[in-house]
Amino acid sequence: MEKCYLALAAALAVGLPAIATAWAQSRIGAAGAGTIAEKPELTGTIIIMLAIPETMVILGFVVAVIILAM
Amino acid sequence: MIARMVKVEIVGPNGMLLEVLSLLRELGVFQIEKDSTGFVTPQDRNKVHSHVLDEKTLAERIFYEDLRARIDELFCCLPHLETRQSYLDPGSVLESIAETVQRHAATCRESCRKRESHRKELEELNRYQAFLGALEPHLGSLSLKSSLEFIGVTIKEPEALEQLMLAMSRLTQDRFEILTARGADGTLIGLIALEKGLAEKVRTVLGEQHVPELTFPAALAAIPFPERIGLLRIRIGEATAGLAAIDAELARFAQRWGAIYARVRSWLEVRLALLKNVAYLHQTGMCFFIHGWTPEQDVARLEQEAESTFGGKVVVVRKQILEQDLDQVPVTLRNPPYFRPFELFARLLPLPRYASIDPTPFIAIGFPLFFGMILGDAGYGIILLGFALILGRIFRKRDTVRDASRILLISSCYTIVFGILYGEFFGELGALLLGVREAFIIERRHAVIPTLYFALSIGMAHVILGLLLGVITALKRRTGREALFKAVNIVVILCLAVLFLSLTEIAPRLLAKPLTLVLLFLIPLLFFSGGVLAPLELMKNVGNIVSYARIMAIGLASVLLAQVANSFAGMTGNIVAGVLLAVLFHTVNLVLGVFSPAIHALRLHYVEFYSKFVVPGGRKFEPLKK
Repeated sequence: MEKCYLALAAALAVGLPAIATAWAQSRIGAAGAGTIAEKPELTGTIIIMLAIPETMVILGFVVAVIILAM
Repeated sequence: MIARMVKVEIVGPNGMLLEVLSLLRELGVFQIEKDSTGFVTPQDRNKVHSHVLDEKTLAERIFYEDLRARIDELFCCLPHLETRQSYLDPGSVLESIAETVQRHAATCRESCRKRESHRKELEELNRYQAFLGALEPHLGSLSLKSSLEFIGVTIKEPEALEQLMLAMSRLTQDRFEILTARGADGTLIGLIALEKGLAEKVRTVLGEQHVPELTFPAALAAIPFPERIGLLRIRIGEATAGLAAIDAELARFAQRWGAIYARVRSWLEVRLALLKNVAYLHQTGMCFFIHGWTPEQDVARLEQEAESTFGGKVVVVRKQILEQDLDQVPVTLRNPPYFRPFELFARLLPLPRYASIDPTPFIAIGFPLFFGMILGDAGYGIILLGFALILGRIFRKRDTVRDASRILLISSCYTIVFGILYGEFFGELGALLLGVREAFIIERRHAVIPTLYFALSIGMAHVILGLLLGVITALKRRTGREALFKAVNIVVILCLAVLFLSLTEIAPRLLAKPLTLVLLFLIPLLFFSGGVLAPLELMKNVGNIVSYARIMAIGLASVLLAQVANSFAGMTGNIVAGVLLAVLFHTVNLVLGVFSPAIHALRLHYVEFYSKFVVPGGRKFEPLKK
């Protein structure tokens, strides 16, 4: 039973941030594409903006790994 | 590295201004400073004023601009042809050229007008020919008596044809014939034959029903219908020949005069560029001043050239860069050949300020390292190495692609090295095939937590390096408090790290107490140097370090995907299908494996590392040059 809870916790730890990241990236990506079309010199900034929300899912993944390693 | 710049003032007699500008343009190492602040002292300000063009120079400028406009007008009429190189010295024949260009422009304008008229006629005739050509095969079945009137129509929709037939039948009591055919563009075209007396009535109805009638040019309208096609073809032939004759004439003209006018135009461009820059210069009653910036390594050459060309009449003075000048100094990056391709990444962001540090050498070391650590597979590395070599060979003349291929080449070498250390060759396949039992340092698939600690350690080292560079930048910019804040942050982060190790009993537990005391002592210092938001900044730095966990996370995802590829291939039970499936999966993983590490390695630099020391907003060094 404990293993079940651990697995569920790990799934939530990685799943919820993944949804949040996906939502954030969809918004940033759409706005970023529009920005690059008008100002290509902002490509670097847009890459940064787009990669920022990935921190959530990566940290979620790390937490999930730690939970499963317990 | 950001090239060291020298603040330079060039002084000379007023009459030599254009010659000096010409030399500066030739050398291409001097950027004119439009703003004289920092160059002219407040007590001299009333003696020095912006350069004003004298009457002669002003007339010269207007003459050049006018001549350039005439040449441009001439070129508008000429075809674009490869012409020979002209070695004419335009300065000596400018007056004659100015007279000739007027005559030539008038002739070419007339030729262009005729050409345009022929082109329009030909376009129109071709339209009629398309109409008549489509109907020609059917004309034999039509009674072409001269007492008949012919009306040409274009019908947009097939249903409209039915309505038209009904209307015609009603109007003419079935005394008409209609021929239809598809035109080259798919439009349905029709030719109605009817008695002359009924034609007007039919035309009115066609107008009411919005069926466009094809009207022939006046020259053709009077001719009987069967002869029209023949005449049309003759006229098309004549117009085509006329057009070709004019084209040949213009091409002959372009071959003969094009090179000369191109040479004159280029000379005018140079003179006008120099005259344009005159507006940014300063003068007194006797001499001119040119203020600007030159890279330190080029100043000696500039001084020598000025001395040898003007025999001491023009002086190049090196001036001291003051604190208030720092934001004004233009920036140019000069890196060793190994680092140079990585300037591509620096170009994606605004330039750093002069008193800041060029991050290119750091990203040149850090990017391939992180890329290799994340991808870490010798098999993938070898494929990327081959790809980078091919890319570099094919696009060796395109700077951006060549730089990108070099970055990929270096990154793939790191990938191979880390692949060997991790014991990965297309996942665990290589280890199985080569009979390697254990990885050289760490097996990522199983040692997840140690890999996480390793990634965090790398992150801490990188962030602390960034903060150290931040301290240096702050000192260079003479912002002592900021330097102190960054230094305190470094100490706090180190203390927190050792405290964590101590509490987890990796380091001696005895250290915990003194470290806590040190942290308590540092907190007031942190507030003093960083203000109320200092703890937030500290937390941001800690968050930045944790962000390096992505090196482990993405690397683990990559190795697991490779493992999945191999497992699926093994499950098929068929060698051919297994190999195909493995190739497919590994290709997908490789594509992901290139983009993901590249973006994340970049992000770690741009967000976590650059934010500690790079001060954006530098002015690009744009020297006066050809």
